[in-house]
Amino acid sequence: MRSVRVWFKKTGMAIYISHLDMNRCLSRAVVRAKLPLWYTEGFNPKPYLNFLCPLPLGQEGVNEPLDIRIEGEMTNEEVKNALSAVMPAGIEIGAVTDPVMKTAQITSAEYEITLEFGTENAAESFCCKADEIIKSGELMAEKRSKKGVKTVNLCEMIMSFSVGANGSFAEIKTVTATGSASNLNPDLVLTALFEKTGLEPVSRKISRIRLFNENGDTFC
Amino acid sequence: MFPKQLENVLLKVQKPGRYTGGELNSIIKDKNKIDVRYAFCFPDTYEIGMSHLGMKILYSLINEREDSWCERVFAPAADMEEQMRSLNVPLYALESGDAIKDFDFIGFTMMYELCYTNILNMLSLAGVPLRSSERKNLSPLVVGGGACACNIEPMAEFFDLTTLGDGEEVTNEVIDLYKIHKAKGSTKAEFLREAAKIPGVYVPSLYDIEYNEDGTVRAIIPKDGAPAKVTKRTVKDLDTMFAPSSFVVPFIEVVHDRTTVETFRGCIRGCRFCQACFLYRPIREKSPETVEKQCRAIYENTGYDEISLCSLSTSDYTGLEKLLNSMLDWTIPEKINVALPSLRADNFPEELMKKLASVRRSGLTFAPEAGTQRLRDVINKNITEQEVLSTASLAFKGGWTAVKLYFMIGLPTETDEDIEGIANLAQAVVDEYYNNPDKPKGRGVNVSVSLATLVPKPFTPFQWEPMITPDITKEKQAKLLSYIRSRKINVSMHNSQTSFLEGVFSRGDRRLSEVVEKAWESGCKFDSWDDSLKFDVWMQCFEECGIDPYFYTSRKREFEEVLPWDHMDYGVTKQFFIRENKKAHEGVTTPCCREKCAGCGAAAINGGECSEIRKSVV
Repeated sequence: MRSVRVWFKKTGMAIYISHLDMNRCLSRAVVRAKLPLWYTEGFNPKPYLNFLCPLPLGQEGVNEPLDIRIEGEMTNEEVKNALSAVMPAGIEIGAVTDPVMKTAQITSAEYEITLEFGTENAAESFCCKADEIIKSGELMAEKRSKKGVKTVNLCEMIMSFSVGANGSFAEIKTVTATGSASNLNPDLVLTALFEKTGLEPVSRKISRIRLFNENGDTFC
Repeated sequence: MFPKQLENVLLKVQKPGRYTGGELNSIIKDKNKIDVRYAFCFPDTYEIGMSHLGMKILYSLINEREDSWCERVFAPAADMEEQMRSLNVPLYALESGDAIKDFDFIGFTMMYELCYTNILNMLSLAGVPLRSSERKNLSPLVVGGGACACNIEPMAEFFDLTTLGDGEEVTNEVIDLYKIHKAKGSTKAEFLREAAKIPGVYVPSLYDIEYNEDGTVRAIIPKDGAPAKVTKRTVKDLDTMFAPSSFVVPFIEVVHDRTTVETFRGCIRGCRFCQACFLYRPIREKSPETVEKQCRAIYENTGYDEISLCSLSTSDYTGLEKLLNSMLDWTIPEKINVALPSLRADNFPEELMKKLASVRRSGLTFAPEAGTQRLRDVINKNITEQEVLSTASLAFKGGWTAVKLYFMIGLPTETDEDIEGIANLAQAVVDEYYNNPDKPKGRGVNVSVSLATLVPKPFTPFQWEPMITPDITKEKQAKLLSYIRSRKINVSMHNSQTSFLEGVFSRGDRRLSEVVEKAWESGCKFDSWDDSLKFDVWMQCFEECGIDPYFYTSRKREFEEVLPWDHMDYGVTKQFFIRENKKAHEGVTTPCCREKCAGCGAAAINGGECSEIRKSVV
């Protein structure tokens, strides 16, 4: 038995698939791909699937890792080809690699966010205000965790943040804490910023670009 | 695909996966190369509709045609409906995202009477006039089928045509005829007159109903050459019949998310309350080879880890052992669970049971339906207490600790003793567990009793019987609870109001169309969901329409009465039902078809063919 790391892209209509549904959806895909799967040993044997860093509902992922376990001889390239042939619309297989880092090493993630405001003025105004707020180093918001709701300073979990207007759009690039130790959903940052600036976009698109370890190396 | 305007609302509603489309194996065609667009509508939520086998069959069947494109449509939940109405987005089909009001066909499958308001709500969301008479153009045609088509009278004003019986052949015939008339530029009336000549097609507007002073039907008068009796369709050979080789695989969890393949149609048992048994006769079996081939194909195209072998009584399938012995050879190594719903416990080999449980153990369910042998004889449920207990004992030995028992109340001739019998039988199962030396160590038993109320249905021997009122239902339910002593027994009960409405509409007539429309206008929808049923509103609508609902439920009908569904012919003869009704009141059972043909008459509409008759002759 060996683990392989499958990198996939989740875009378009697939962003409406929740994490639990992704699990079900890809469990079936690996069966259709006829991979020599290793099954969990319990009352209810299932193919082993581990989404290292589940995406929230409604967000795109450009290069998301998924570990699966297979038995028998099959190269990474063969796994990739078999999987690529059976994916539903919106989920694409990028690469298949041997796992190098462990899940616990994920500490942050880079996001690209596009916000559509009705007018250029609103976009411009949002960019200025948002930039100021983040630079001030304080953006308080209620954050839910397993231990309950707490008011925290979101800026402490934002590693970098840049924002610029492009017509009636605001474009954000940010790196936020991600992983089991500390995790900040960029949607929470946006909600807090909308409230503080009093400006709400008509639509938003959040895309996760890559994951990092604590040294800032791209997770692999 | 979904309309662009909805992009920003999908994250505001629950389970957006219901509304996006784009699932694996959903079929996308080029609409410019299509003659006929068919919106296949299921009048309940996505999760329920996507579990429905009939929809999967007809979806694949229509899409096999190069000239047609069939798409799926489900009833949006309240939160989504609100968004759609406020943004003026009409009801759309999941594959293309196009509004269904521009389709050629809007087809509904009707499994349950309590979905009627949902049908009206979907038509209204689509922007299509509700009544057939208000839709002047040839398209969209609003058509229907499914079990409720055997008495569609309460919805007669809304449907242009319905089809009776198996849909595999008649659906194509209706589409073929429609294409001709569309090309010719026929009017809707011209098309419907011709459609009524297709066997199995019912056009409600071509029948006038006359009533007696007491409210019963005096006569059903066909017009414009429509047949006096509409005969249901039966597919003769299930081995050559169309069957899907793949299913659309939903992203979100649905009720039954698995491979399902039919093993046979019809039922040999003849339980007197059961409508399905009589609607789907005569018995036609698929060969084990065909079933296995179809299971394999769907499994490979979907990746489902469960296969369900479906029929009305799976252990009566003569090819079952052969099928399982062959199929388990590949399902066990591939970790696929084989589920056998509707399994009768009395004739199933222990060895096979063990093999079936080797991947995943599913639940164990019995349907004694009545608490005493006397009453089981009345309803012709030929299962004895001893059979239930010995199978339960076998299962306990095999490690099962949970058993489900199905019962009904309100059966003809029922007394308190029969209600007490339900509690006694459940208790006997509990005792059987504790008296079993091989029971699982250190674990208790859990017996779930599910209690339904008899809804007498058309095309059953009980179609003339009165139904108990909601008050009496509640009384009987309370009585049963008072007889239960063990904490190992859980009782769940059907809502008495839901059953009552089901009772009104299953034996209702055309005058009820007005009530359904009024109830929908007053906000009734999703009536089968306990949390959205507005029973008081319903009762008020009956009153406003001057209709007494108890007229349809509480009255004992005479054999001579003209029934609102008398112009429907499902093969089984009225004489047979009368005979069976009389035997029920005498407490006399009828042997199952395999032991002795009871002469129900269903074979006649299948060219005299019935698997059971063939076997008894050979």
